[in-house]
Amino acid sequence: MKQVVVHPERCLGCMQCMIACATAHSQSKILFSATLEDPLPKPRVHLGAGLYAEGFPNRCRHCEPAPCMLACLPGAVFRDPERDTVLIDPDRCINCASCAMACPFGVIRYYQDHTAPPGKTVAVKCDNCLERQEQGLIPACAEVCKSGALTFEETSDAMKRKTDVVARSVSADISQTELSPGFALLNTIRKAQAGLSAGN
Amino acid sequence: MKYVIIGNGVAGIHAAEAIRQLDTEGSITMIGDEAHDPYCRPMISHVLDGSVTPDRLPIRDAGFYDELNITPVLGKRVTGIDVNNQTVFIQEKTGSSSMDTSHTLMGLICKLLSVLLGDDPGSETGPKDFRKVFPYDKLLIATGADPRPVKAEGLNLKNIFYMRTQEHVSQMLEVLPDAENALVLGGGLVGFKAAYGLLRRGLNVTMLIRSGYPLSMQVDETAGKIILDELLSHGLKVKTGTEVKVFEGTDRVKAAHLSDGTEVSCDMVVIGKGVLPALSFVPDKIQTDLGILVNPYMETSIPGIFAAGDVAESVDISRKTPWVNAIWPEAVNQGRAAGMNMAGRQVAYKGSLSRNVIRIFNLDVMTAGIVNPPDDPSYEILSSRNNRLDIYRKLVFREDKLVGYVMVNSVEQGGILTSLIQNEIPVRKDCQWSVVSSPLSVISGQLTN
Repeated sequence: MKQVVVHPERCLGCMQCMIACATAHSQSKILFSATLEDPLPKPRVHLGAGLYAEGFPNRCRHCEPAPCMLACLPGAVFRDPERDTVLIDPDRCINCASCAMACPFGVIRYYQDHTAPPGKTVAVKCDNCLERQEQGLIPACAEVCKSGALTFEETSDAMKRKTDVVARSVSADISQTELSPGFALLNTIRKAQAGLSAGN
Repeated sequence: MKYVIIGNGVAGIHAAEAIRQLDTEGSITMIGDEAHDPYCRPMISHVLDGSVTPDRLPIRDAGFYDELNITPVLGKRVTGIDVNNQTVFIQEKTGSSSMDTSHTLMGLICKLLSVLLGDDPGSETGPKDFRKVFPYDKLLIATGADPRPVKAEGLNLKNIFYMRTQEHVSQMLEVLPDAENALVLGGGLVGFKAAYGLLRRGLNVTMLIRSGYPLSMQVDETAGKIILDELLSHGLKVKTGTEVKVFEGTDRVKAAHLSDGTEVSCDMVVIGKGVLPALSFVPDKIQTDLGILVNPYMETSIPGIFAAGDVAESVDISRKTPWVNAIWPEAVNQGRAAGMNMAGRQVAYKGSLSRNVIRIFNLDVMTAGIVNPPDDPSYEILSSRNNRLDIYRKLVFREDKLVGYVMVNSVEQGGILTSLIQNEIPVRKDCQWSVVSSPLSVISGQLTN
C-alpha cells in the first residue's frame, strides 16, 4: 500500500504542504474560496523546526498500535484496517485532549472543522487524504511538495532506496555519496548561523 | 486454560481482549461489581458538567461478553482468594437487611444464569447465602479503587455523594434541579472535577482543600494558582486548611460544620478525597503496599496471579519507585500487558507515569511525572511564563532526562514531552532551553498553530 513517506533532510520549511492540506480539507477545495470559509480550514500537517531552524514536515504516522487510540476516552479514534489509517470520529470526540497527551509526535489539533457538528471543537489530524485517494488523487501534501521531502510511494520502495544509500556509504567512496547535497549545504549554513548567534 | 478476571473496568476489559487475541480456546470469567455495560469512568465528570450525555459512556456494546465468549458475573464483589487451591470465591448473605433489592435481584439473575449455562462450579450454602467458587489457572485482579472515605458525623444523610461510578453521577443528576449550594470535599482530581461540573451546572460551589490551591499532587504552585484564579473568576468559593466535622440536616443534608468553627449551608455534598486500591479481599500471601505489587510482567508475588489498573502498584518511570498511578491510560496499558502475559506471551510493561490533561472554562492544563521535585542538586527546573499569550511551561529534568512537566494552555504537543519521559530519552544541556523557550521549537507550537 502506498503511503506518504517523509524525508526530513530534504525539507526547506516552505509550508506549501500546510496550505495544500488545509485546502484539501476545505469545503470548496479551492484555495481562494477556502480562505473565506467558516470554519476556516486548517492544515493537518505541521511544520516543526529543528534546533537550527531546519524544517520538518510533522505528520501523523498512523501508528500500530496507536497511542492516541488507546488513550481516547470516548472511543472516537479508530483504525481503518483496509487503508491503514487512524481516523477520528468527530461525533464521538469530546475534545478532552487525552490524545494530545498520548501522541508522541504532537500532530493532533483541536478546532471547529466542517466535518464536525457545527460549533463543536474536536480533535483533528491527518486522514491520509482518503477522500482524494478515492478520486484517484494522491495526498495533497505529497502532491505539492517541490523538494521531495514528502513522497507518496510504497514504503518498501523508500526503504530500499535508503538501504542502498547506507550500503554505498560503507564503501571506500563514502565521500562521493551525498543524499541531497544542496540540502546538506543549506543545513550546514543554518548550523553555522545558529552557532554564531549563540556566541553573541 | 481457565482465566478469571476480577473487575470489569477498563483494565479487565483490555486484559480479556488481549487474552482472546492469543488464546481462542480458554474459558474467561469476568467478575464485576458494576452491572452496567463496560463504560468510560473518566467521562462521568463530563456527564456531571453536562458536556456528554450518559448514553455516550459505554466503551463496549452489550454484546461484548458474548462476542469474546466471556462468562460475566456482574453485580458481585469477590470476597476472597484461595491461593493454595487456586480459587476465587464470592460469599455474602443475600438475606441481610443491608442488601437492597437490586443486589438481591442481581444475585437471582446470576444464579439463574449459572443454572441456565450449566456451569455452576460452586455450591449454595443456604437459601439466604450466596456462595460461588471459581477455579482459575491464571487470575487477574483488576478491582480498581474505591473512594477514600472521610470521617465526619452525619454521613448517612441524603445528598452526600462520592464520585466514582456512573451510578454516583446519575444520583447526583437527580438532585441537581433542587440543589443550589454544593460543598465539595477535596481539591484533588475528583473534587476538582466535581466542583467544575457543579459550577457549570450553575450551582454555588464551595470547595474545601488542604493546600492553598487545587490539584496540588498534579501541578506546581504557579499552575495551581492559575487554575484557582480561573475557578474563582467563575464563582467558586474556596476554604483551605479546614475539614468537615459534622453534617447537619433532618433527612437531607442542610449544612456542614467545619473544624475552623464556621458553618457552610449546602444541599448537596461531593466527597472527592481521592481513591484507595480495592484490595480488602486480597490474602496476605500476595505482597501489597498501597496497591498490589507487580513485576514488569504484571505478575504479583504469587505466580499465576496478576494485577492491573488502579489496584496495581508498579514502578513509576519518573520516580523510579513502586507507585500507584490510578489513571485511565495506565489501566489500559497494564490490562493489555497483563492479558498477554496471562495468555503466555511475555510482554514487559515499561512502568507507569502519572499524567493528566484537564480542560476547564478557558484553561487547558497538561501535566506528567514529577512536577514538584525534591530539593536535590540532581534536579533542574526550567520554566517560562508568557502572560500575553497566557502560556506557562515548567520542565523538570533529573540529570539529562526529563522527568516531569506542567503546561498551561497550548497543550496540543504535550505528548512529545510525555514520550520523552516514558522513553527516558536524554536531552542535551544546550537543547533543554529550546524545549521550553525557543519560539521556533516544536513545543511552543508557534509556527504550527
